[in-house]
Amino acid sequence: MSTMDLDQYKKAWDNQPESVQKLSALDIYKMSQSKSSSIVKWIFIIGILEFAFWLSINYIVTKTGGFEPYEQLNLMGFLNYTTYLHYAVILLFLLLFYRNYSAISTIDNTKTLMKKILKARKTVKWYVYYNIISVVVLSLIFNILIINTPDGFALLTGVENTNLTGGKMIAALIITQVFIVGIMVLILWLIYYLLYGILLKKLNKNFKELSKLEEDNK
Amino acid sequence: MDKKTEKSFLLDFEKNQNIVHKVCRIYTTNQDAHKDLFQEITIQLWKNYEKFRGDSKFSTWMYRVALNTAISLYRKSTRTIKTQDISDVAFKIKSNDYDDTEERQLKALYKAIHLLNDIDKALIFLYLESKPYKEISETLGISEVNARVKMNRAKEKLKNTLNP
Repeated sequence: MSTMDLDQYKKAWDNQPESVQKLSALDIYKMSQSKSSSIVKWIFIIGILEFAFWLSINYIVTKTGGFEPYEQLNLMGFLNYTTYLHYAVILLFLLLFYRNYSAISTIDNTKTLMKKILKARKTVKWYVYYNIISVVVLSLIFNILIINTPDGFALLTGVENTNLTGGKMIAALIITQVFIVGIMVLILWLIYYLLYGILLKKLNKNFKELSKLEEDNK
Repeated sequence: MDKKTEKSFLLDFEKNQNIVHKVCRIYTTNQDAHKDLFQEITIQLWKNYEKFRGDSKFSTWMYRVALNTAISLYRKSTRTIKTQDISDVAFKIKSNDYDDTEERQLKALYKAIHLLNDIDKALIFLYLESKPYKEISETLGISEVNARVKMNRAKEKLKNTLNP
């Protein structure tokens, strides 16, 4: 088939009549005032929810005495410093997220727009990684200290005479924590691969499609 | 947005709305989705109108925002069923001597476009709208050479669907 034929279709395209759904200025005004349901808006909402989620976890742990064992192990000073640091990092992430989010503009060309959307999402991703890593690091420090403290396990559980000693105690401690961290990671995985997977499937596909040739040419 | 800006936006939009309708027809296959996408594009145009400030033609800017919304912002996937009929795409017949062949060609064209991926749809749309490669590459954010290669591939795909 020659290009001639495509030109014929182009002629049909050029002659296509105006839409019957022609809207008045008032219709357009009404539409422009309705709520957006764009991907960008969803990324913003989910991002804010995630910040709120981790902040409330921190709050709940503090308020329900989750830090008591630390107190008994004389770790409160250490914990206060890490908490300040933690809030500073959260603030930094929020600023980054806000900056990336507000940089998104439909005026940009398609590729830049896509890059900016994916960047805003990445900030949230790193924020979650940061939280997971800090949980793991803190519990690691905690474990080492308990193991090195005489009667550390008794202090932690409030059980004076336990049948578990030495290696068994350490094993129980590690298994429990691996279990908890495992469940946490599983939940986050579900959030990431399902929520963002569904939300960004189309965008990722289109971004790949748009960038494809440039990679071919490299 | 002040009243004066609002008014000029609505006038500009009303005059150029066919661009948005065409984008919606390409990226959606039923009336509900068409309306939905049209609304999202309207919201995006409204939100960014103050930033637009006439450094390009209103219509040029409209092409960009409309395509960006369809490709990157619109949430619903526009997976097309091969047997999809576009009979629900309404065309207004301008006059009695409207060429029937062209109408059939147009329907076949839309049907073939619906089978392309989102990026190819944008390329073909800009080609059909007689946009120069410079504008196409600027709209999509790819190099002109790249745009040409991609366009040729998209046209090839389209031709194969139109005339298998």
